[in-house]
Parts: sequence; structure tokens; C-alpha cells
Amino acid sequence: MNDGEGPGSQHAGQLGPVSGAMGMMTKQQADDVGQRPQYSMPGILHFLQTEWARFEMERSQWEVERAELQARIAFLQGERKGQENLKQDLVRRIKMLEFALKQERAKYHKLKYGTELNQEDLKPPSLEKKEEDAVDGEVMPSAGNVSWRQGRHLLRQYLQEIGYTDTIIDVRSARVRSLLGLQAHAAESEAEGAQPAIVQMNGEVPSKRAGDQGKASDEDDGLAGEEESEVKHVKKRPKMQNVDNIAMMEDDTETEEALAEFDFLVEEAENGAGEAQSHGDGPEWVQNEKEEWDVDQRLIDRLKDQYKKERKGMKSRPKRSALQQMLANLGSDDDVFSSQSSSYQGGAASSPQRAANSSGSGLSGSDSDESGLQGGSSIAFPSDSRKQIIGTDPDDESFGEELGELADLTVNNEADQNNYDISSPKEAYRKTWNAKYTLRSHFDGVRSLAFHPVDPVLITASEDHTLKLWNLQKTVPAKKATSLDVEPVYTFRAHIGPVLCLAVNSTGEQCFSGGQDSTIRCWNIPSSNIDPYDSFDQNVLNCTLEGHTNAVWGLSVHSSKMQLLSCSADGTVRLWSPGQKPPLLQSYTAEEDDGAPTSVDFVRCDPSQMVASYSSSNTYIYDIETGKQVLCINTKSASEDGGNNQINCVVNHPTLPVTITAHEDRNIRFFDNTTGKLIHSMVAHLNAVSSLAVDPNGLYLLSGSHDCSIRLWNLDSKTCVQEITAHRKKFEESIHDVAFHPSKPYIASAGADALAKVFV
Amino acid sequence: MKMKMADGNSAVLRRNRPGTKAEDWCNWSDEAFEEMDSTLAVQQFIQQAIRKDFTNIEEILTPPEGVEEGVWKYEHLRQFCMELNGLCVKLQTECHPEQCSQMTATEQWIFLCAAHKTPKECPAIDYTRHTLDGAACLLNSNKYFPSRVCIKESSVNKLGSVCRRVYRIFSHAYFHHRTLFDEYENETYLCRRFTKFVTKYNLMSKDNLIVPILEDQNAIDGESEA
Repeated sequence: MNDGEGPGSQHAGQLGPVSGAMGMMTKQQADDVGQRPQYSMPGILHFLQTEWARFEMERSQWEVERAELQARIAFLQGERKGQENLKQDLVRRIKMLEFALKQERAKYHKLKYGTELNQEDLKPPSLEKKEEDAVDGEVMPSAGNVSWRQGRHLLRQYLQEIGYTDTIIDVRSARVRSLLGLQAHAAESEAEGAQPAIVQMNGEVPSKRAGDQGKASDEDDGLAGEEESEVKHVKKRPKMQNVDNIAMMEDDTETEEALAEFDFLVEEAENGAGEAQSHGDGPEWVQNEKEEWDVDQRLIDRLKDQYKKERKGMKSRPKRSALQQMLANLGSDDDVFSSQSSSYQGGAASSPQRAANSSGSGLSGSDSDESGLQGGSSIAFPSDSRKQIIGTDPDDESFGEELGELADLTVNNEADQNNYDISSPKEAYRKTWNAKYTLRSHFDGVRSLAFHPVDPVLITASEDHTLKLWNLQKTVPAKKATSLDVEPVYTFRAHIGPVLCLAVNSTGEQCFSGGQDSTIRCWNIPSSNIDPYDSFDQNVLNCTLEGHTNAVWGLSVHSSKMQLLSCSADGTVRLWSPGQKPPLLQSYTAEEDDGAPTSVDFVRCDPSQMVASYSSSNTYIYDIETGKQVLCINTKSASEDGGNNQINCVVNHPTLPVTITAHEDRNIRFFDNTTGKLIHSMVAHLNAVSSLAVDPNGLYLLSGSHDCSIRLWNLDSKTCVQEITAHRKKFEESIHDVAFHPSKPYIASAGADALAKVFV
Repeated sequence: MKMKMADGNSAVLRRNRPGTKAEDWCNWSDEAFEEMDSTLAVQQFIQQAIRKDFTNIEEILTPPEGVEEGVWKYEHLRQFCMELNGLCVKLQTECHPEQCSQMTATEQWIFLCAAHKTPKECPAIDYTRHTLDGAACLLNSNKYFPSRVCIKESSVNKLGSVCRRVYRIFSHAYFHHRTLFDEYENETYLCRRFTKFVTKYNLMSKDNLIVPILEDQNAIDGESEA
């Protein structure tokens, strides 16, 4: 509400007394006419009107100004955001280039001298960047080489998590440094420090092996001893070879600069070595060094082989086959999910080969999967995509571990895993429902909700005696985009007492609500584009159906005929035809010990039948015309303890002759309409199941429970596809109703915490 | 149809299941405030107290230990707005724009409806509906009241303006639809409770409280005597 009302009311308030006062004054003046001729009623009115007009104009000017400023603010904010994004991108690119360069250097050294000791030292600087990239999946670079390196880096990260390479890293770097006595240089940069040492050492070895190659001309002359000169030559040669090789290898200015650093360090090392040499016996020293080198080389070779093996191990086929076995064990019902994640398969299958580049992109695909996994909310994902991942993913090992946990999830229907993030990153190939809209306006728990058949509009019924109409396209502008708030368009007031159930007819023009006051009200649904603060229209309430003598708990409207079924705590189920006189067509009563009917639904396959469930946990199919019980579905005997296992909701499948019931004993049961036999029973939730909804295509089932979660089930496999935690508890109740939109991809849940949420 | 075990509070399932009769609504034993572990504990407590005895205004308005005053005021205001719905439903039958074309109480003031962009002179029934809808939006808005267990200091001021506007519904009903007002007041004691509430927490200035409360009681007594 704006504060314009304050001054407005004062203004209006003053209108009364001021005009009254003026009126009195003029009456007075009417007596002494000649005294103040300039005051007259029309003049006063005119003055007031002009003043008011002026105020209005100023106010509209202020509004315009404010709107302009707001627009400007929004524009500037957008600009700033763009600049920030740009800056981030550039920073990221810088890091990537640095990383690429380091990798390149490492690769070169590895190729040239056969060791990769540099690699580990390279890890720390680029780790943060790597994590950054792993977290926001959309920044995956498409360039093959870079992503491949990043993928390998991610690999190493996983291994580090396992703790495998830590010791190797430490051992290697420590050995290198201690052997070469280059501790002093370590301060400058470990990477650089190790590299020239290695360079030198590596250069040493081939030079020795090469024997008397053409000694390149040295820079310093005058080496007296032959050995010295040999050593020095040898030492020089590696440097020269280094330089030559390096020069031959790459022409990057960056590399040259880097190598210039190497030269410095190599000279230092030479000097150091020279000193050492002068101390010790030349040949012996050389011999020792050689031995040491050899030993070191052997050790290094061993370590290197180990490392290679471990790297290969990740790419090893045996591990992949192990995972495939695991998959096979999990069962064939995972095939069902293939339809869901078909587009994902396409994405993963595009990198089937194990060539470096494609494994890189496979990795990058898996990276985004990783990030998706961490925030994932679908159990469907691992089973199917696992099949694909194994074909492509080099880092099966660590991935397999994560999958191992997930493998357990698909098997059970238990509700132990409650840690699904609702706001996971949306990925095109995985169909998860994410909370999109939050409908806040009720004061007390929302008992029921129903979608409009066509529009993105829904109606909620609440214990605060009202129903509200919501248009999902009219959201409240909010800062965070994760969940949008919606404000109601219209409030239906007529019930005295909580409104307990709601149904919308198939044209979307009328809705029906039943309440604790035992009345059923028929409403004409106003257009969803009206002003919420419009005048009161008496005609929105179409009619009131009275007949029940106690709270009306269930309503169901026929899909084609204008007929309405209601069930009430007075023990009867009634059929109405609103609009006709008299509206009550039929009344069905069940046995005394069946308790009260809790929920009704029309049988979709057979329009002359309807099904009603009772608090005694029995369900009956009635013939509508005759009112006789056609079939008793053995829900009571099917449930474990027939004692107090109330059925909270019953729905019929839109195409199959199946009735689905939600029980207080946490089960959902499926029954055949023709035989009445139990088809399937499953423990669905941690607490009583309070409501059910079937999607219009008959493929999925939504169930809401008082354990604060709603679950989406695949009806073919009867497995849980997704679980969403929503709504808080009031007393012992949390979710009262769930619903699908008949034509759009929306699902909604109604909670005891006075909120309704819509998921897309 | 609720499960009511004889052994202890822990097994009482406070649930209004489908099939519960109207007289059995919320027909469970009271729960101590300390034992309520839901985030909506304050609302539960207030509703429980009202159900127990709606005439005992003192008890309903007394906060239990450990409840922040802001949260207490907020939850009570929510409850008032919810219960005013009943009065609105009654008014909808009688208060027509032809008779009550403006929102007035006594002759002195005309109240403009603040729910519009520019304050509008709505007929009384529209004013009532819009005010209640607007209060619902404000009290539920994420911007001012993002949480129900902790109220921002800046939003506490909003409670006062909501009270002021909502009070006008009472005053209009009292002065123009007296029978309805009395009927509803006897069923719920709502105006009395509201007046007590705003006085206790200083949410409105006394000059605005024009519905005479003591007179009410005397008048009702007088009528019953006569």
C-alpha cells in the first residue's frame, strides 16, 4: 500500500470540515453581503478544484520522474552487471591461458625428457580455477585441447581427493630437490626451480648417453681439466641443447621469456655444481653424480610408471566393464529412464571415442554432469547416463564411486535421501521439476488447489475461509530469480469456516468449493487479467448448494457433463447438477462402519461410475444411475493393519481402469477397477500420504505427504522419479494437495504453511 | 477421525484428516508452547488459545515465554485479518454500493482506499475487500516479511498502518450495520480483542479507536435485560 492514502485522507478529511467551515462562513456573509465580495461558493470550489488538479499533476510528474529514475537505475545496473561479467570472462581467460601454457610446458618436458615431475607442481595454481569451472557448468570451453587438459586436471583432483597422489607428489618433489641441492632456488618458484633442475638433469643423461656428440660451442672457455671441461661441457651442452631444443620446439615469446628464466637458474645451478665440483674429486663426483642420477632416474622411472599406470587406470577398460556390470545388476527397469534422458544420450554419445579431444569433451560433458550431480535432484539421471558415461569417461574410477552411492538410490523406494536440491541447474536433457512460483497470500493452510484447464492460472482453497485466484504470469518483481512470488488476482469470500476442497470444471469458467460450513459454492471464475482491486461483483458467486449436514471434504467434477460429486463427513456422497433445479440428483450412503467418505472421483473410463474412499480404508465403486455399489475394492484387506488406515485420497487413472489410493499408513495402492484386486502396493513416504494427482497423459503420479515432501512417480515402473521437499509443518500436517496442470507443464503443491508452490 | 491415543502428547496426531466432522475440527488436546517444534508455533498457539475460549482476551493476548514481540504482533495481525473475513462475508450480503457508496464511519471522515495507485474513494464493501486483500499481500510479502519467525525492525511500522485501515472496517460496520456487527462480535469478540491488542502494543493512536467498547458491553447487556 502506498502512503498516498495518508495525505489523501487528510486532504479528503479536510474537504469535509473545510467546506463545512466555508459554508458556514458564506452563510454568515450572506447576512453582511457587501463586506467580502470576493468570496463566493463557486470561487471557493474553483480554487479548491484548481489546487487539487495541480496536486494531481505534480503527483503524476513525480511518478513519471520516479519511473524514469528507476529505469535509469535498472539500465545502469544492467550495464554494471555486463561489465562485471566481461571482467570475469577476461580473468577466466587469462587463467585458462596461463594454465594452458603451463600444461604445454609440462607436456614438452614430458615429451622431451620422459618425466612429468613438473605436473604436480602445476596443480596448485590452477586448482581454484578448475573448481570454479567445475562448479558453473556452463563455462565449459569448447576448445578440445584446453578442456582435455582441464579434464585431466579434474581427474587429478579426484585422485587427490582419494588421497592417492599426495604422497607421490611429495615424494617426488622432495627427492628431486634434495638430490639436486636446489633448495635455495625453491623459494623463487617451485615449478621453475624444479624445471631447470630437471632440465639440467635430464639434459645430463642424454648428453652422457650421446657421448661425444658435436660439442656445441660453449660460452665460457678456458676450462682446464678435461674432466672438468667434459663435465662443464656436458653441463653446458644440456643448456645449449635445452636452448636448442626449446628453441626448436616452440617459438612463443612467452616460452622464450620463461626459458630466459631457466637460463638464469641453470647458470646458477652450474655455478653451484661447479663449486661442488671444485670441492670434490672430479671424476668421482661425476661418477657419484652419475650413480645418483641413475638411481634417481630409476626411481623416477618407477614413480613415473606408477603414475602412468594410475592415470591409465582411470581410463582402463576393466574398470569400465566393472561399472557396466554394476549397471546390469541394477536392473532393466532403468531402461525406462532412457526416454527422459534421450537428449542427454545424444549429448554424451557425441564423444564416444577416446581420442584426446573427444575424451576431453566427454569429460567436459561429465564435468557438467558432476556439477549437475552434486546439485542433482533426479534419481533417473545416473542409471541411464551412466551407460553413456562409461563409454566416454576416462575418470571412471572416481565417477564410479559417486555412482556407487547413487546406485543404491534407484533400487529403494525409501525416503532416506532427502537432500535433493530443488534449485539444481537446469539441464536440458534431464527433466527435473524446479520450484518456480511461490503463492503467498493465505493466512492459514491451503487445503486444496486446482489448475485452470488451459491458462497458467490456478485457484487455491484455504482454511482462512477464502479461495484465491492466481495468474502465474503476474509475478511480483523480485530481486532473486530463483523463485517468483505471485499475488492473487481475486479472492472469493463466502464460506464461513475453512474451505476444504475445490474443483474446476473442464471449461475453466466455473469452480466449486466445499467447506466446513457444509455448503458447496459455485463460482464464476473471473478473468485472470482483472484488477485485483476492482469493485465487488455479486455475480461471481453463482449459487450455493446446500444439502450436506457436515463438512464437505471432497469434490470432483465430471469432465464433460455438468455434474459434481461431493462427499462429506455426514457420511453421504452426493451428486449434483448445479444449474438445474433441484440441483441435488442423488445421494449415496454407505454402511455405518465404513466411516465417512473421504474422497471421491469419477471413473474416467466408465462415465457412469464413480469411486469413493472411506475413512475405514474401504473403497467402493458405485454406479451413478442406480446408486448401488458395484464393486468393493479390497483396500481394507490389502492394507497391513486394517485398524485405522484411512484413505486420504483416491484418484482414477485417465485412461486405464485403475484406481489409486493414498493411505494413512504411508502406502500408495493400485487397484483394478474391473476386478477390484490389488495390482501394486508401495511404501511411498515417511508419513501419511495425503494427496494424489495423475498427470493428464497418465504417465506420472504425484503424491504429497505429511512428511513435507512431494514425489513424482513413473506409473509404468512404479518408481520414484523425483522428490521435492517443500512446505513446513503446522501441527502434524504439511502438504494437503498436489495437482498437475491439464495442459501445461506445471505441478503445484498446497501446504499447511499457507503457501502454494508451483514447479516447472 | 483423528488418532487420539491415551498415552501422552507424543502420540497425539494433530491432524484434521479428510472425513473429520466439523465439530471435531482441531479437536485435540492443547500443546504447550515449548513443545511445539514447528516454525508456525506462534500461530498454532494463538489459534489454540482462541479455540479454547474466545472470550478470554487476556489469555489470547499474552505471549508465552521466549516469543519476540514483533513476531507476536505479526501473527496476531494475521489472525485478525483472517477472522475479519467472516465479518466481510456478512457485510457482503448487506453492504451494497448503493447504500454505502463511501467508506465512512461517523460523518467526519471519508476514508480513501489505499490499495490503488492513487487513493480512491471506494464504496464501503470494496474498501473492506481491498483492505483485507491488501493486508494479505503486505503481510505475506517477501519484501517486508520474508520470515515468520523473525520480523525486521523496518517492517514493524507497517503493522501500524495495517491496523489503522483494518480498524475502519470495524467502525463502518458498527455505525452502519449495527446488527451484523453485534452478531459477529458476539460470535468472536473480535473487535474487543482488536482494540485491546492495538492499545496494548500501541499500534494506533487512541483517537482513532472510535468504536465504543464498554458501551458495547453495556448495550448488549441492556438489550438482554430489556
